[in-house]
Amino acid sequence: MESLKANTSTSKVSSSRIGILKELLATKDSAFWQRLAEFSNECHSFSEIIKLSNLRKRANTIDFGPNQGTPHEEFRIAVVGGSTLYPLSELIEHLLAIEKGNVKLHLGNYNNYRAEITDPESELYGFDPEIVVVLPDETTCKYAGDLTDSAEAIATEVERYANETLSLCNLIRQRSSAEIILCNFGPSPYFDLGQLGTKHPASDWNFKRSVNLALAELAPNFVHICDLEFLAYRTGGLVARDESSWFESKQLLSPVLQVVLAREISHIVCSLKRASKKVLVLDLDNTIWGGVIGDDGLEGIELGDTSPRGEAFKAFQAYVQSLTERGVVLAVCSKNDFENAIEPFRKHPEMVLREEDIVSFKANWDPKPDNLARISDELKLGLDSFVFVDDNPAEIEIVRQFTPDVTALLLNPDPSQFVPQLKESRLFEVASISIEDRSKTLQYRKEAERRNLLETSVDMDSFLGSLQMKGTVKDFDRLDLPRIGQLINKSNQFNLTTRRRTESEVERIIEDPDFTGFTMRLSDKFGDHGLISVVIGKRDGETLEVDTWLMSCRVLKRQVEEAVMNELVARARDFGCSRIKGVYLPTAKNGMVKRHYPDLGFSTIREDDEAGEYELSVDGFEPRPTFIAIESTHAKL
Amino acid sequence: MNMTRSEVLERLQEIFDDIFLDEVVVTPELSAKQVEEWDSLLHISLVVAVEEAFGVKFRVGEVEGTGNVGEFADLILKRLNGTNA
Repeated sequence: MESLKANTSTSKVSSSRIGILKELLATKDSAFWQRLAEFSNECHSFSEIIKLSNLRKRANTIDFGPNQGTPHEEFRIAVVGGSTLYPLSELIEHLLAIEKGNVKLHLGNYNNYRAEITDPESELYGFDPEIVVVLPDETTCKYAGDLTDSAEAIATEVERYANETLSLCNLIRQRSSAEIILCNFGPSPYFDLGQLGTKHPASDWNFKRSVNLALAELAPNFVHICDLEFLAYRTGGLVARDESSWFESKQLLSPVLQVVLAREISHIVCSLKRASKKVLVLDLDNTIWGGVIGDDGLEGIELGDTSPRGEAFKAFQAYVQSLTERGVVLAVCSKNDFENAIEPFRKHPEMVLREEDIVSFKANWDPKPDNLARISDELKLGLDSFVFVDDNPAEIEIVRQFTPDVTALLLNPDPSQFVPQLKESRLFEVASISIEDRSKTLQYRKEAERRNLLETSVDMDSFLGSLQMKGTVKDFDRLDLPRIGQLINKSNQFNLTTRRRTESEVERIIEDPDFTGFTMRLSDKFGDHGLISVVIGKRDGETLEVDTWLMSCRVLKRQVEEAVMNELVARARDFGCSRIKGVYLPTAKNGMVKRHYPDLGFSTIREDDEAGEYELSVDGFEPRPTFIAIESTHAKL
Repeated sequence: MNMTRSEVLERLQEIFDDIFLDEVVVTPELSAKQVEEWDSLLHISLVVAVEEAFGVKFRVGEVEGTGNVGEFADLILKRLNGTNA
């Protein structure tokens, strides 16, 4: 809907966007790159993105510091499929270049994708893509038999068609190490069979949708489905297609949908290795209820089913609460007296959110950036994993200025828009949901209780002893893959190398005899922390190199590091390695583990701004004593 | 909405400036063959850009039937004026 609006609006705004950029380019102003990124992200017009892409190409030929702030590693993406892939490819390339800097694109020929995929010598594989986008031929996705055929025959054909499409993806996977983005099928938006089309399983409408459902059900984890059916529905089916361009240039999708599709593909690519947000911090007045609690009182605020506005606020609360099932934790940051602010949580019958849903509750008169920093300290979660929502533009502004790592969302003036706005922000999308996610709130609350205990127990040893900790060390297990993948892609602070991997990349480690990967779980008398540490070691002759070592920060200073260290030495011995090599790759976030290896008794090989390398001889290593009772299952050897 | 042919050509010049990387001077006699960058792929983007800029929709095959930019401008004028022919 938004794209349509943008498309029909006057071209005045767009020409001024282009004009601003041309001006910056002419004066070689490095602000060009930031504005280019902003404009590219907000623009919905096909020709404007093409123009922005041209400006980017021109800027790259001028020497004034290309794409500052983005990495210059080359990112390789291939697009193959059953229609003409240009200019869609141009849009994808531009939107990715804005995010990733240096993008190389390989373009398949029109409707040549089956040959390109099945021929192991094809240019596709010579290109060595990291991502392959497959846009299959829609014209063959239809039931070729009779409308009088049995429902079973049609269902069999649906499954056969989906499997055939997925087998092409499997081939790509076997012949390259690429992740695959598979576009599904967009049913025709035109009336044809009428009532019968709605009911008959072989109608275009039903057949394509059935194939799409089968694809979703059968796709392996390296196939990421780009839901063209949904995108066309969202855009408007009639607007999503362009009949004449099929005959002229073999393109099915209208320019409007091509923009939407390119944006979605770029989003999928970027989210493969990007963490979603972990904390949602809520303002209170006019955010989760209407009115001001300090002025209007418990009876005066608008909340609940007696008025449309009250109902909208209640629906927003229900959506916010549902986010906790994905592992998002909730906090409050409000300018209020604490007693006033907490009252509705305790007493208002229409409140969906209750005191126990909020892991950190800050209601005072200090500046909000200060409170956000306190919440971050308490939860041991970085501010870059925070989203803050408020109805007051001034509060949003101060947060953006003083805590720029926090994503601050200014709520729409209409509370009925709060839920769609939060959904459209796409900040809380997760690749998968693990059982651990559901109990996050409880875990963080337990952590707060533990801290209270910590304040009273001066003697650290007796405190740790009193926790009755149990640890379970286990080889990577396929059942744990979603959680392992989540930690690998989310952990920033206790993470020695910050190497991101997709679930399927992790899965390959299980198979590789030169890798050892294990996890550790921790529980104590207050509850289960779940899977909290991930380690990957790689054998290189006599040396076991620690490729990845990360830990959830909520178990800091609990001797998990020492327990993992003991396990690592045991595995090095099993591998016949005499030496363990540890690497620290510094990032903006992982300063807390800078001294990790020296603190564990490793000696330094080298240390500079780019990396630290450390080694430890396995011979004569004495296991470090901990208060954790360890149970280890080590099955690989 | 009554544009003259030369106004259409002026607007086309602006679009050409943004769509082509090289500088292309729009004249009524100009044709795709004379511009190296103007291949069948770039042509797709160019036509969409023209449709979006003028708010018109060409019928299947009719852009292909124009031999040079002058005839293309005439076609734009025809669609702008909403003639059914």
